[in-house]
Amino acid sequence: MHGMRFSTSVPNDPDTHDDFKPTNKLENSQLTLKDIVEQDVKDNHVMIYMKGDPEQPRCGFSSLAVRVLSEYRVPIHSRNILEDPELKNAVKSFSMWPTFPQIFINGEFIGGSDIILNMHQNGELKEKIKATPSE
Amino acid sequence: MGVSKEQVESALRSKLSPSHIEVIDTSGGCGASFQVEIVSEEFEGKRLLERHRMVNGALVEEMKDIHALSITKALTPDQWKIKQQESAASQPPSTTTAA
Repeated sequence: MHGMRFSTSVPNDPDTHDDFKPTNKLENSQLTLKDIVEQDVKDNHVMIYMKGDPEQPRCGFSSLAVRVLSEYRVPIHSRNILEDPELKNAVKSFSMWPTFPQIFINGEFIGGSDIILNMHQNGELKEKIKATPSE
Repeated sequence: MGVSKEQVESALRSKLSPSHIEVIDTSGGCGASFQVEIVSEEFEGKRLLERHRMVNGALVEEMKDIHALSITKALTPDQWKIKQQESAASQPPSTTTAA
């Protein structure tokens, strides 16, 4: 796949005990990364792929997006793309968007931090979040 | 290796023929992050997401070396005119962008 510059896979090493094998919480099923992204954005009303996590963003843009979204007091689901370069690439090709953070609301790709901030300021974000059906 | 402000500007000029463009290197000169303000007729009738996609698309090559791109404005010439009138009418533009 183009753009895949990193790999998290490790060759099988017969000397390695199971306990020491690298674990990846996204790897324990037959789902492809694309499936996982699809599932994420479908299952979570507000989904953000970011650098770091909402409690501890690792980039000013991710931090800004989280602060904006927090204003609306709705649950924010997130994944830290710094932990998984393959997920990062999967998200990028899913949304066809080159940078992070990336925000999805109600399954729809909204954009990055500039767009979120802009929509927050002009009231569109409120509408988007309000339109979110409650579970 | 970074990208120069001029490279970003010329890529945007050739692909989006803007009537106004301002590119700021926010990486302190190492060419890793930029802030872009762009006004183009080609944004007419397009949502902000679409406009940002056009800017990203124009910078596909450059984006490989850019770590952060902030598009602070992507306006049509009409919207730009209104913005300018607004800021001329008020005192020095009071930006409320978070620090």
